[in-house]
Amino acid sequence: MSREVKFIAACGAGVNSSHQIKDAVEEEMRKRGYNVKVDAYMIKDVNEDLLSHYDGYLTIAKTDLSFKPKIPLIDAGAILYRIPAMAKPVYDNVEKVVKEINAK
Amino acid sequence: MNGIINFANSLFKPLIDMGAATIMLIVLTLIAVLFRVKFTKALEGGLKLAIAITAIGNVMNMLTTAFQKPMMQFVKHTGIHMDMQDMGWAPLATITWGSPYTLFYLLVLIILNVVLLVLNKTNTLDVDIFDVWHLAFDGLFCVYVGAPLWLSTLLVLFIGTMKIINSDLMKPTFNDLLDAPEGNPMTTTHMNYMMNPIIMVFNKFFDKCLPWLDKFDFDSTKLNEKIGFWGSRFAIGVYLGVFVSLLAGNNFATEQGWKDMFTLSFIGGSCIELFSVIGSWFIASVEPLSQGIADFATKKFSGRTFNIGLDWPFLAGRSEIWAAANVLAPIMMLEAMVLPGNRLMPLGGIIAMGVTPALLVVTRGKIIRMIIIGTVELPIFLWAGTMVGPFVTNMAHSVGAAIPAHTLVSDTTMEGPVEKFLAYLVGNAWKQQGMFIVYALIALTVYLLLFIWYAKQMKKRNAEYAAAKKAN
Repeated sequence: MSREVKFIAACGAGVNSSHQIKDAVEEEMRKRGYNVKVDAYMIKDVNEDLLSHYDGYLTIAKTDLSFKPKIPLIDAGAILYRIPAMAKPVYDNVEKVVKEINAK
Repeated sequence: MNGIINFANSLFKPLIDMGAATIMLIVLTLIAVLFRVKFTKALEGGLKLAIAITAIGNVMNMLTTAFQKPMMQFVKHTGIHMDMQDMGWAPLATITWGSPYTLFYLLVLIILNVVLLVLNKTNTLDVDIFDVWHLAFDGLFCVYVGAPLWLSTLLVLFIGTMKIINSDLMKPTFNDLLDAPEGNPMTTTHMNYMMNPIIMVFNKFFDKCLPWLDKFDFDSTKLNEKIGFWGSRFAIGVYLGVFVSLLAGNNFATEQGWKDMFTLSFIGGSCIELFSVIGSWFIASVEPLSQGIADFATKKFSGRTFNIGLDWPFLAGRSEIWAAANVLAPIMMLEAMVLPGNRLMPLGGIIAMGVTPALLVVTRGKIIRMIIIGTVELPIFLWAGTMVGPFVTNMAHSVGAAIPAHTLVSDTTMEGPVEKFLAYLVGNAWKQQGMFIVYALIALTVYLLLFIWYAKQMKKRNAEYAAAKKAN
């Protein structure tokens, strides 16, 4: 299997929306044959140092940050609608990032 | 309805004697299967709920046992009557989901949502199944106070209807706050936004009398960055251990005094962290059911586009929510100490996530207003939290949490404080009758009128949004 690609997801308490995104992305990427891990955090705990340990940041909607992130931001909010057709573009975007990282 | 429940009780008595975790394992699994969830997925959810209920009971036990004695000494030493422990939202959510009646209220609210959609009274399909616990909590509290189930169900429907209508009213504001395109379906029926009408009153006051205050708004991202880990959950748990030990009069001339303080602090920090870990199991447990209900509803309404009701944190990217919560934490601590009638010692709920999202929506990110209005409304949360303490403790015991005798638990910043007072008045109107009937009717009327006024204000706001878009 290819190397593990790590994403971060964040929401209010770091337990509900971010976990939904984590579970959905990990499962879909496994189905597509990638090795992806997502960690869930509280948005208030996200900082530059934390993001430096990840390959991408799965946001829910517009997210205020006090710095310019060096990793790609992917809007993953559509996963929360629980309608597969709406979540698909998110997975495609994640896959693109994963492919780029695997190609490195 | 009570007849049916009595019959069900006699049938299920042996099951009920197995305890809350076992009951919920079976009930949640069965209901998920009813919504066509695959059996293994449904069982996975049921098991996760059972272990979450068990684990939260044990952690509550660990926390309350450690803090019980120092807090009694704190009260004796300072004369401040703060003897009720603040668990934050996760334990309250878990124990509320530990009652089968929560699933009853869930089904009632799903039917309500479907009816409102069919009648075109709303455009919101609520898929935030987990957060049904806020309203279920009010229904259960109403029953605890003395109302029969049908009356509590009416109250839940009354508030539930406004909650769904509110999600439509707020939708254009969400698009504005998120810079989202018109087609974005994100909205929410979350209970914390039922404070909007009251916040709107204060916001009007600012518009009319204190508009110059907005000049002092500051950059929230910068503040949050400076606070860093000092505002994190575990750090707050540690401060509270230190604070309680100091005011409990630990003898710091002895090694034991220091040791007790450190032990208490680390238990505080670790329990707060554990609560959120267990909270995530518990939310995962409702996940298969949520997906099942969403699949079911989207199939029934195929071809229609909805706004989709989510948990509130799609707004959590707005840093004002966290800046206001950071500033309000020490303010709440001070208020808790001087507020007459408050018995809650802030801990688990001190990061006021149940308070600040509504402030953001009504003020649209004016941070100074958020902080001032937050300061003014926090006492309502503290009083409501104190009032429901005996009920929460009772419920915790019934799911098997071994909280020591004479110790009460609650939450300082639980969403929907006003609705708890409504539940209290409605429950007493049934049980004690007399003047309580009058009070309950007055309170319900004022609540409704205030919401209607708020709806009018929001419609004005939404018309402005529509006009601005046209102009572009």
